[in-house]
Amino acid sequence: MTEDHERIDEILAGYVLLSLSGEDAAEADRILAEHVPSCGRCRATLNELQAVSGDLALAAAPVDPPETLLPRIHRAIDEVPLAGRTPRRGALVAVAASAVALVALGGLSLVLGNRLSDAQTRAGTALEILSAMRSPGAQPVHVTPQDETPPESGMVEVSAPDVRRLYIAAEYCPEPAPGRAYQLWLGNDDGWEPVGEMFWPEDGVVLLELEVDVARYDEIWITEEAAGPPPSEPNTDGPSWFGSL
Amino acid sequence: MGEDDRHDIELHRLVSARERSAFDELYRRYARSAYGVALRVTSQDLIAQEVVQDAFLALWRAPEAFDPTRGAFRSFFLSLVHHRAVDAVRREERLRRRTERAANLEPATGEDPAEDVVEDAYLRVRRKEVRAALTTLPPAQQQVLEMAYLDGKTQARIAEELGIPIGTVKTRTLAAMRKLREALREE
Repeated sequence: MTEDHERIDEILAGYVLLSLSGEDAAEADRILAEHVPSCGRCRATLNELQAVSGDLALAAAPVDPPETLLPRIHRAIDEVPLAGRTPRRGALVAVAASAVALVALGGLSLVLGNRLSDAQTRAGTALEILSAMRSPGAQPVHVTPQDETPPESGMVEVSAPDVRRLYIAAEYCPEPAPGRAYQLWLGNDDGWEPVGEMFWPEDGVVLLELEVDVARYDEIWITEEAAGPPPSEPNTDGPSWFGSL
Repeated sequence: MGEDDRHDIELHRLVSARERSAFDELYRRYARSAYGVALRVTSQDLIAQEVVQDAFLALWRAPEAFDPTRGAFRSFFLSLVHHRAVDAVRREERLRRRTERAANLEPATGEDPAEDVVEDAYLRVRRKEVRAALTTLPPAQQQVLEMAYLDGKTQARIAEELGIPIGTVKTRTLAAMRKLREALREE
């Protein structure tokens, strides 16, 4: 409907300018995942708006970067040689060995995220995590057990800013108490936002993928809450994991 | 698609084949524009350098992220730089607020050394087109666009600072983007 597309266009315009927040950002995620892929009009609109957004960079005055910048980039390129160069799947396979390093960091468990469909295998999500870790600037964050939480249950967070995704991995996550579930929170100066309930697999190995603008948050907290709708504030009792993003 | 866009695509193809000279050529073509927008958004030269470095490294390490069927390389790459710059400035801003340090950042220097910077003719032409298109926008639309794009502010914050409903910010933003789309449309 025209009205719907007007609204969608508004969201897409804000999206390409990176100026959405809160409910609008969530709506953009939903539209991009559920509507745009099947709507030729919106795909074309998104491409055109993205082209405008790219060209808007030219509104800023060009400035010569320091002469040291290109050599620095060359050094960075040389420091991390690429393994093979077949894009995507091949490249992902090429870095599979890195999985060992990730597990060694403190655990691998992908937590089930908002849009991780049943059809996606854990292996697929694990490969996405590895791919995210290869992104320039990607830094794994330790999400550490707090207080009485089993110390061997440490988790690792990896975010990929370019695709607005966050991943969490843990090798061992204890089963939540009966009637309770783990809740993922992201925090900033405005407080804590409940992001979603973490699915706990029987083997305790959790893999989590979330579509979220990680740059909006500073901290991550996983708490045990009563199963069901999230409370307004994180529970400060019981097992929990905390990390600074 | 113009000759320069096709040349970019060829350079990108060579970068995908790990041709360092093609990478350097893309750097030569876009580093000034990239650094210009990164500096404008972040207002800090060290952060702007990191932003540009990360963007070029991303290009080298994952060239497949650019899909030539979806538009010009120029738009793709400068969007990537802008995205990283906005992320950087928001992280910095939150960090500053959280640690309650006094803000001591100089605003964007405001200089416009465009005339002193040597850049490819087609970029100079496109830059003039973009700036000319911006001047055709009503001031209110220009304002929200600049606050969003160059200052990295969210629509909610723009609404708060201007004292207008967020719906108005959205309407002005879309109207501005549509006008620019028409003005800058490339065959």
